[in-house]
Amino acid sequence: MSSCFLDEETFCQCCQLFLQHSHSLCDGWSWEQVKGSEEGYLRKTALGTGRTRCNQDQQGTSSDQHQERTFSLSFHNDDDDEDDGAVCCIQEENSSSSVVQYEYHILYSCSYQTPVLYFRASTLEGRSLCLEEVWDSVHPNYRQRLQHRPWDTITQQEHPLLGQSFFVLHPCRTEEFMKPVLKAALEEHRQVNYIVTWLSVVGPVVGLDVPLSYCTQVPEPPHTPSSSPQPPSSSPQPPSSSPQPPSSSPQPPSSSPQPPSSSPQPPSSSPQPPSSSPQPPALGTKPG
Amino acid sequence: MADDKDVLRDVWFGRIPTCFTLYQDEITEREAEPFYLLLPRVSYLTLVTDKVKKHFLKVMKAEDVEEMWFDFEGTSLKWHYPIGLLFDLHASNTALPWSITVHFKNFPERDLLHCPSNSVIEAHFMSSIKEADALKHKSQVINDMQKKDHKQLWMGLQNDKFDQFWAMNRKLMEYPTEEGGFRYIPFRIYLTMSDRPFIQKLFRPISTDGYTHTLGDLLKEVYPVAISNDDESKHYQVVIHGIEPLLETPLQWLSEHLSHPDNFLHISVIPTPSD
Repeated sequence: MSSCFLDEETFCQCCQLFLQHSHSLCDGWSWEQVKGSEEGYLRKTALGTGRTRCNQDQQGTSSDQHQERTFSLSFHNDDDDEDDGAVCCIQEENSSSSVVQYEYHILYSCSYQTPVLYFRASTLEGRSLCLEEVWDSVHPNYRQRLQHRPWDTITQQEHPLLGQSFFVLHPCRTEEFMKPVLKAALEEHRQVNYIVTWLSVVGPVVGLDVPLSYCTQVPEPPHTPSSSPQPPSSSPQPPSSSPQPPSSSPQPPSSSPQPPSSSPQPPSSSPQPPSSSPQPPALGTKPG
Repeated sequence: MADDKDVLRDVWFGRIPTCFTLYQDEITEREAEPFYLLLPRVSYLTLVTDKVKKHFLKVMKAEDVEEMWFDFEGTSLKWHYPIGLLFDLHASNTALPWSITVHFKNFPERDLLHCPSNSVIEAHFMSSIKEADALKHKSQVINDMQKKDHKQLWMGLQNDKFDQFWAMNRKLMEYPTEEGGFRYIPFRIYLTMSDRPFIQKLFRPISTDGYTHTLGDLLKEVYPVAISNDDESKHYQVVIHGIEPLLETPLQWLSEHLSHPDNFLHISVIPTPSD
């Protein structure tokens, strides 16, 4: 079963394996745990380049109108053909290439059952970049993709664990690019670490490169055999509209072997590795 | 079922009387009078405060005006949270009208999202609806709707049109009869005593053996602190739309009737006032 979705436990396992390689490269990733819970996220800061406004005067009514124009172009396309929706990257005469401090977080989204990339950016003087500057900093190679696919877009969101403003690459299309990769890996009996694969696609869009050694050196988490039959009526399905092949046939290890972890597990499941996030209850076993 | 429909109306038409006062350090040409407004619980601050902005701009020079933002007793108010949630979370046990301070300078970049236009509010609103449907229906219902249907949801909210909104929203509240409810319930539990802004997890409304989960079951599972008590006194209030629903209320019913227009159940857990 080539599931393009990721349950939280597998996310954590993939992250830990990712981190092991990261430590050997000393490339700055760390795991941040949420106080009092098993939840956490990967974090890294890095210096990169971006396009920022030269003058400090990025405030003021004129700037509001500026941003308003950008947004009305990027979001009003819902009325029309998707292709008409163009995000206008304002070419500022007084913007230039400069050094930008980036902070990247990789979180897990239980709603979409995928990882999500959050980031923030500031100048070396500590001024936060605005959304326009972030758009301008996206490499021209990727801009077209962002322009024509509004749900791949970068927006400002609240960080769900920290409550602060971050920029986010919207996760709802993750399935589209992960599915073929995972399927191919399965067919060719290759190991795939979900985080490595996913990050190598989304990271470069926002200035985050993934060295090739990650792809060869980072394994996928051990396949926890859940070969015991699942109760049919509650057959755990990742939130996907495409039909899943039956899970009872012998499968080579896939990168996301677990159905969403909140589904009831039969008692004969293998014990969970220690780094797993707490399982929601076996809801089916509550007394009626 | 007539009663249930009334609940939908009561939720939609909930209002909070609010007094907007200009922050004392803002530069004005003459004294700014406070501005009073009834705020819809289910809407968003930046969507309904054009009049507030116009009122204060009358006494200010354009160069002293940047993006408007609000605070209550020193806490900056997140426009992307529904107004009713902000009130329940920060001001439930204070006297009405709700006193909000208006700012036009020193936007708190780290804490607040920018809101340069209504398109941003629309995008945020639609994003929440899509996320809720991903949880409820694996995105099938929202993806089957046309763009004009999505637009109708937004326009209904923006223009305070209950019937227009619900004509479309009812589709998002349906589920296959044999399932007994949604796949997962879209909810967020907001905490005041924590760095973490909210808790959101996967939680089913109906268990596999047909047991109907209640609000109490949800809290026990994802935030047991909320229902802990010593010596028979409750430490916390669990508030939705300004009321404390009974913990025995079925979660599926709450999701269908007390969700916000973004299809999420926004639940506040606040300390019980000591007097």
